[in-house]
Amino acid sequence: MSAMFKRFKREPLLPILIVLVMLCLLVFIVYPLFQIAKSSFVGSTGEVGLEGYQRVLSGGGLFHALVNSLVLAVLTATLSTAIAYVFAYTFAYVKVPFKKLFNGIAILPVISPPFVIALSAMLLLGKQGLITKNLLGLENANIYGLHGLVLVQTLSFFPIAFLTLSGLLRSISPSLEEASQNMGASRLKTFLSVTLPLSVPGIANAFLLVFVQSLADFGNPMTIGGNYSTVAREIYLQAVGSYNLQAGAALAMVLLTVTIIVYILQNFWVGKKSYVTVTGKPTGQRRMIESGAVKHGLFTFCMIMSIAVIAFYALVPIGSFIKLWGINNSLTLDHYKYVFSIGQKAIKDTLTLAIVATPIAGLLGMIIAFLIVRKRFFGKKALEIISMLSIAVPGTVIGIGYILAFNKAPLALTGTGIIIVAAFVVRSMPVGIRSGVAALQQIDPSIEEAATNLGASGSKVFTSVVLPLIKSAFFSGLVNSFVKSMTAMSAVIFLISAKYNLITASILAQVEAGRIGVASAYCTILILIMIVALILLNLLVKWMGGKERSA
Amino acid sequence: MMGMKKWMSSITALTMAAMLFTGCGSAGGNNAAPANNGGGDAAPAKPQGKLTVYVGFQEDHAVAAIKKFTEDTGIEASMIRMSGGEILAKVRAEQGNPQADVWYGGPADTFVQATAEGLLQPYTSPIAEKVDAKYKDPDGNWTGIYVGALGFASNKEFLAKKGLEAPKTWEDLLNPAFKGEIVMADPASSGTAYTAMYTVLKVMGSEEKGFEYLSKLHPQIQQYTTSGSAPGRMVGMGEAGVGVLFAHDVIKYQEEGFDSLELTIPEDGTGYETGAIGIIKNTKNEELAQKFVDWALSPAGQEVGKTVGSYQNLTNPDAVGPEKAVKLSDINTIDYDVVEAGKERQRLIDKWSVEVKK
Repeated sequence: MSAMFKRFKREPLLPILIVLVMLCLLVFIVYPLFQIAKSSFVGSTGEVGLEGYQRVLSGGGLFHALVNSLVLAVLTATLSTAIAYVFAYTFAYVKVPFKKLFNGIAILPVISPPFVIALSAMLLLGKQGLITKNLLGLENANIYGLHGLVLVQTLSFFPIAFLTLSGLLRSISPSLEEASQNMGASRLKTFLSVTLPLSVPGIANAFLLVFVQSLADFGNPMTIGGNYSTVAREIYLQAVGSYNLQAGAALAMVLLTVTIIVYILQNFWVGKKSYVTVTGKPTGQRRMIESGAVKHGLFTFCMIMSIAVIAFYALVPIGSFIKLWGINNSLTLDHYKYVFSIGQKAIKDTLTLAIVATPIAGLLGMIIAFLIVRKRFFGKKALEIISMLSIAVPGTVIGIGYILAFNKAPLALTGTGIIIVAAFVVRSMPVGIRSGVAALQQIDPSIEEAATNLGASGSKVFTSVVLPLIKSAFFSGLVNSFVKSMTAMSAVIFLISAKYNLITASILAQVEAGRIGVASAYCTILILIMIVALILLNLLVKWMGGKERSA
Repeated sequence: MMGMKKWMSSITALTMAAMLFTGCGSAGGNNAAPANNGGGDAAPAKPQGKLTVYVGFQEDHAVAAIKKFTEDTGIEASMIRMSGGEILAKVRAEQGNPQADVWYGGPADTFVQATAEGLLQPYTSPIAEKVDAKYKDPDGNWTGIYVGALGFASNKEFLAKKGLEAPKTWEDLLNPAFKGEIVMADPASSGTAYTAMYTVLKVMGSEEKGFEYLSKLHPQIQQYTTSGSAPGRMVGMGEAGVGVLFAHDVIKYQEEGFDSLELTIPEDGTGYETGAIGIIKNTKNEELAQKFVDWALSPAGQEVGKTVGSYQNLTNPDAVGPEKAVKLSDINTIDYDVVEAGKERQRLIDKWSVEVKK
């Protein structure tokens, strides 16, 4: 008892914090999911039954969608993680020119709504595609379907994996690798027996992140999926088209189960190992690979990928000034006129809500990561699982769940900004948590213990010791939160109201109406906002914590 | 600097706690309705309060209409544009605490379904008597504001290359030359596609024959899009050869510069959409909502569309429709029974999903 009291006296904020965090997670994640679970058993006329689940598992269209989604997610996650690892490795270990450029390019796909890449894919590789028709002269190029989805999703999601991996690879202490090489191991042997095993948690995290992103993706299947139906799209069609909330919710529950299983497996496999490489001892600079086939090979790979990404992105700003792509290629400012007359409110609302949501999501993500890795308390596992749940549910379902959950007193939040901010936070927080956990797992607890023994309070330890050490992870978490919020669509498509409209909803409407120019103009503005925000965030992080560790 | 840091750290922690607390606190203790439903007592002289409108047609048209409404009446209104299916889902989900007052535009079939579920507040506008009986609900749950026929959009280059004529009947779509070249939307998500499906059943003479046709059409389809107007864009861009969508959307694409689009109307009979307006049940601004409906049915409200490139026919005979609109009197329309279409919607979509789409 007295021990507990002592602990409380030393860290008075901790229990309060834990309770608050838990409360928020319960209200904004568990309760809506509970509502969805409830709906999955209740038919439109109120009878309770398993009809929804029967439809999902009976081998019909819904079952196909489930299999399709899993195939797609595995392919995309594997490809994305592999590409991201090569990119991240090149950054951390190889002396190549254009590093800044590559870095920018790797982050680029993250700062725009995914379905824009889908549009570019059509413009580049469709029947009227620049590449397919004009360069290769193909008559009947079909970009719609699984191959198109894998391409577009990989381009969209590999940056997420990259952000997770690059921080991790940079923070691997060179001394271990040097030791290995001093003992006569070759570069390859060192890579296979030191670097790669040390990056396992990062790889697992990256894979997991992309996997669930791919499962929950809504924009790409809507635009480029063709007849390859996926779960998120099917849920949308069930809920919005057929008004069958039961089948949609049941499908979401099945999907959720799959994701949880994947998560538990990975956690089990990754969690068994220890990855402490930050020991508090000063580390030397890493010796970079400066020549040889490895360097040239990696450099070429990064170049090719970068050119591909640039090709996809150049189209968006270019397209925003072209009257009608492929049909009337004259230059025009009409699309911007349209955006600034009609889309002003959407831009303002999105920006406001995202700015509110970003610090909440970033801090909450870090605090939860800190609690998970460093603290022992009742309900920790629950906290961990709940906080990761949100990303597993397709956003469309979260949206419906929120409407079901927050429509009546005492939680009448529909139509308010709070509900959108909550959705932003819930959707973007897991990324911050994962990168925070990955970073924290590398820090030896003895550093914190030293600070605590010297009399620092819990919050002091967090801000003076932990935060600087996990700054790059925190920064990538902030960036991700902001970007995810600015480009969120599936979750909030149900939450937008006349009071708060969002850019992504407008873009989707324009895409559907075939005004690709207007959609591109919106996106160009969105990308500009992101770039400015990235620079500001970077400055903020520098100001908050002195100098960044050298990359 | 050290002091600064310490200060920063406690501030951060406190702010964090405060943010979480107020976030959850206001969530827990605030059951007041959102501010946009202000003004319960409408003064007879100048209406108090602000309207919220869910709009089911194109965004540019929506913005222009709301702006014009405020200019004409002095009543402030904000709007959000969604597809018909989304609006119905939202209105249904918000039953206990409606977030909008008026549902403006989109196919009447969904309004019929909403009426059956008791989601709409009946109101018969004095102007509604001018509207043809087949374009309105006798009990005033919804009233038609525009009408638009279904048509085929074909890509001229595609036709020329294959030496084909643009399809003139539903049967023409089964021509083997069109295999894998036809796009239409998915009836489950799109009001347009459901209109097409219901039309086919009528044109073919019976549900059985209609479904036989739909099964033959299925292998001809390159893809089912989510949104009803998307096939027009795909055909215009040469992604597909032929699309099934509303004629007014085809004209809109043509006007926007998709020169390769050719519009044909099925001669063996075509269906049409009745775009409707209705008041959402339990609105807190009933009087203002009624004013909005009156305005939307008036020539001033109906003629906004043609200024922003919407080419539907108007239901108010006093309103002058767009010149380019395809007039229902010039084409062979089926007897499109909106009420039956709305009532049968769910069953037919389910049947189609099971038997045709598989």
